[in-house]
Amino acid sequence: MAETRINCLYDNCPIPLLKAMQQLKKMSVGDTLVIETDHSCAMVNFIEWTQKNSIPCEIVEVDNGEWEIILRKVK
Amino acid sequence: MQTLERRIVKQKKDQRPVFLLVLTLAVLLTLNLAAVNSRLALFWIFGLAFGFVLQKSRFCFAAALRDPFITGSTSLLRAVILALILMTITFPLIQYYGLIIGNGELLGFVRPVGIHTAAGGFLFGFGMVIAGGCATGTLMRVGEGFSMQMIALGGFLIGTLWGAWDYPRWETVFIKNSPTIHLPDILGWSGAVLLQIVTLGAIFYLAKKYDERNNIML
Repeated sequence: MAETRINCLYDNCPIPLLKAMQQLKKMSVGDTLVIETDHSCAMVNFIEWTQKNSIPCEIVEVDNGEWEIILRKVK
Repeated sequence: MQTLERRIVKQKKDQRPVFLLVLTLAVLLTLNLAAVNSRLALFWIFGLAFGFVLQKSRFCFAAALRDPFITGSTSLLRAVILALILMTITFPLIQYYGLIIGNGELLGFVRPVGIHTAAGGFLFGFGMVIAGGCATGTLMRVGEGFSMQMIALGGFLIGTLWGAWDYPRWETVFIKNSPTIHLPDILGWSGAVLLQIVTLGAIFYLAKKYDERNNIML
C-alpha cells in the first residue's frame, strides 16, 4: 500500500497524464498515486482516462488553482 | 468505484471580491464602449462570452490536433471536424446573404493558397504543442491563472508582432504569386458545400478508425 507522489506542477497537457501512465506501470496493485498539478485541463484528461479504464480516481483542489489527483492501481 | 482517503486541504482564498471587482470594471468598460461605438461594446461582450464558453467546455484546438500524435485519441479532433461541418453549412449562408443583400463584398478571408499555407501551419503547430496551447487556449488559461502560459503569451505576442513586421516581405515573395481559390466560384455554392461536407465526413470516419487502432488511453 505504498503511496507515490509525482510533481506535475507547470507541466503542460498531456504530460501529467503520460507521467501518470508511466508511473502506474511501475506500481503494484493496491498502491496509490498522487499527481500534483496546476493545469486545469489535466482534470478533463484524467477523468476521461480513468473512467475508460475504471481506475478509482479522486480530484481535490488543495489550493487556489492547485489540484491533487489521487489514483489507485486496481489491476 | 471505491472511495479514496481524504486529503488535507488548505484554507483557500475567497476569490469572490476579486470577481465582483472585475465584473464591475467589465460592465463599466461595456458602458464606456457603448457610448463611443455600439459595435465595440458588442465585440467586447461577445469576447467575454466566448472566453466563458471556451473555459467551461475545455475546447482545446491544440489538444485536438496534438492528441492524435501523442495519445492516439481523436475525440477532440472529431469535435473540431463536427464544428467545421456546422460552419460549412452556416458560413456560406452568411457569405451568400452578404453578397445578395449586403454591399456585394465577399465576407471573410479568401486568400491565396500555396506552400506558404502548409509551412505556416507546421510552424504554428510545432510552437503550439511546445507552448501548450493555441491563441484561444493560451488566453483562456492565462485568464485562469496558469502561470506557465503567461510566458507562452509573451512569446506569442513577440512572434505575432515580428510576423506582422515581416509580413510585407512574405507577401511579395510567396503569397502574391499563389492562386486564390474560392470553391463556390468553381463548383457553385451547393456543390462547394456538398464537397466540403463529404470530405470532412470522410476525415471524421478515418479519425474514428485511427482512434480505435492507436488510442493508448483505452
